[in-house]
Amino acid sequence: MVSYILRRVFIAFFLLIGIGVVSFVVIKLPPGDFATRYQQFLLDRGTPMEEAQRAAELVRQQYGLDKPEIEQFFGWIKGMVTEGKFGYSFAYRKDVGELIADRLPKTLLIAILAHAISTIVGVGLGIFVAPRKYGFWDNLWAIWAFIFTSVPRFSIAIILLYILVIELRQPSISSFFSPQYVFAPWSWEKVVDMFAHIWPVLLIAGLGGVARNMRVMRGNLLDVLGAQYVQTARSKGLRESTVIVKHAVPNALHTIVAYQGTVLPYMMQGELEVAIVLGLPTMGPLFYESLINQDIYISGSLLLMYGALILAGNLLADIFLSILDPRIRYS
Amino acid sequence: MEDKKLYTNQAMDGLKKEQDLLPVDDDLDSVLDGEINQDKHQDESYFGLVMRRFLRSRVSIIGAVMVIILINLAIFADFFSPTSLYQIDLNSSFIPPQRIHFFNDANGNFHLGPFVYNYVYELDPATFQVYWREDTSKAYDIRFFVQGSEYKILGLIPSNLHLFGVEEGGTIYLLGTDKLGRDLWGKACEAGRISLTMSLFGTIISVLVGSVLGVASGYYGGWVDNVLQRFTEFVAAFPNLPLWMALAALVPKTADSFTVFVIMAFIFALLTWTTLAREVRGKVLSLRETDFIMAAKEMGASDARIIFRHLYPNVLSHVIVILTLTIPGVILAESFLSFLGIGITEPLISWGLMMRNTQDIQTLGQNAWILAPIAFIVTAVLGFNFLGDGLRDAADPYAGK
Repeated sequence: MVSYILRRVFIAFFLLIGIGVVSFVVIKLPPGDFATRYQQFLLDRGTPMEEAQRAAELVRQQYGLDKPEIEQFFGWIKGMVTEGKFGYSFAYRKDVGELIADRLPKTLLIAILAHAISTIVGVGLGIFVAPRKYGFWDNLWAIWAFIFTSVPRFSIAIILLYILVIELRQPSISSFFSPQYVFAPWSWEKVVDMFAHIWPVLLIAGLGGVARNMRVMRGNLLDVLGAQYVQTARSKGLRESTVIVKHAVPNALHTIVAYQGTVLPYMMQGELEVAIVLGLPTMGPLFYESLINQDIYISGSLLLMYGALILAGNLLADIFLSILDPRIRYS
Repeated sequence: MEDKKLYTNQAMDGLKKEQDLLPVDDDLDSVLDGEINQDKHQDESYFGLVMRRFLRSRVSIIGAVMVIILINLAIFADFFSPTSLYQIDLNSSFIPPQRIHFFNDANGNFHLGPFVYNYVYELDPATFQVYWREDTSKAYDIRFFVQGSEYKILGLIPSNLHLFGVEEGGTIYLLGTDKLGRDLWGKACEAGRISLTMSLFGTIISVLVGSVLGVASGYYGGWVDNVLQRFTEFVAAFPNLPLWMALAALVPKTADSFTVFVIMAFIFALLTWTTLAREVRGKVLSLRETDFIMAAKEMGASDARIIFRHLYPNVLSHVIVILTLTIPGVILAESFLSFLGIGITEPLISWGLMMRNTQDIQTLGQNAWILAPIAFIVTAVLGFNFLGDGLRDAADPYAGK
């Protein structure tokens, strides 16, 4: 068990380094380095040429941009791990680490909530439709599943935005809280207020996940329901509901756990899409803004964060699966 | 003479007996065609079997029809659009979708076919907002197969025929117009060209990469397999959308649109080949040990011959299925990137790019019809998904036997 987990962690670690390299390449790819960009930034703001050059030189030394690329890469990694320094953002005039510290919890909150809801609802629906194979409810939900996975999520977000803002005149949906709750301590009302603000993201990011979980759960459950031990359980005279809930479902859940590794990136991307359209203060809009403004350290760091989150999710799914299903540990 | 007759009779008797033994659903025709004692479809070609299974599923046919319609709209966009695709008219910006009327107009005149009213521009005296109003004093008949603006079919054959149009002086905008006064219907048809070719092109690149790596991995095994598998895992671990966004944003703004198109297609191919490579590897692994491959090896066939002549054709059906199922993902991603303004750039146009104006909630609030391209995206994605699902069931025609 421990050796299996260690092996997974070991592989994940190397993947993380790989993702770090790619993120670093994304930072390095645009022409000119960070210092020339900083110089340009100062010049645009009316700083005299000499002053800007001196500042750029200072930045170059501070960030070690005059050193070879490999050293720079390790310097970047070291800064992140030891000091929490991800690099400087022009647009926000602070270290990217602070921005991430502000936005990561919100992103995680939405991702985890959407994930939990979609898993529970999706698995529940799967259990509901599987015994009704090709019946009315099965077909109805199959059609919904197809629609939810086919309509671009950003366009659902636009339509929702249109309905909320233009038709219903709902104020401030592009924030987590109503103004009076922003600095208030946590309370039940504040939680309710937060849900009143973030439900569109949860809904849109979650719907696709619900559809996918439902289809996978339905397929598994149908496979399991055809197995002989289920027939045995039935012939013992057990009620059909007992057969499904006690005998079939636990064995169909394994694949769902394994499948979370696929659903998680899907949800993260859904959150990314929807948050950009709705302008919620999570990592998504920050990432998009940074790409438009060529704020390279934000882009690179967030790319790394997204990769790390998905990796961590996969790792957790793997470990959880190995606890559930001992066969995996020994294969 | 006598002998021959006898022989025929015997044969006929034999036939009758066979006929009794045959399953009920086999009709007499196939018996007379000499398919006695055989399963009805046994000697049919693989392609024939696939087609038969495919045509049996209603959903896949719907998918195929949706895809074919979109492709035709895209190729013959000039023909389906009543106006020239390149016409920009700032005087007709943001006209709502024009309603089509039948029979009697407001003046009591009878119209044989459908007709549209004139649209006029007005200022609301209370809110000072400008809007388009239906002016019922003038009605224009819709005509079919009319002569209109000149264009070239496939860029080669000059023509001026349009599917429909209105009488001189009138306009017809089925889905309304955008900010520059361009017909959204015609533009959406045209945008299909980029959206569809981009996703197809990107997917084909990814299929090439995936096939090569998958076959190499499955056929050669050993350390090649190990290295390629780790590499595939590594690429598959990347978060697709953020990386696509980051790479797309790196494409220089000054590059000409064709270069942008090619680069974008490669960016999409970069991360989508992993599913295919895995699937192909699995198939090749199972085929490698089969008798016919062994036989080919024993007869001294070269690796290249075995791969291209014996292995790959057997994998091809699965490749086509995955190709079909990869396209919708690329269409969705492409439309999102173009919607954000980091994908396709003008003068090229895609469905996502057409929706760029919807980002401005003010514009969207007054002109909700600019959301129309969503319908095209959804049709394309649903169509390819249905088609792929149907193909997947059909690709393995021997499975059910």
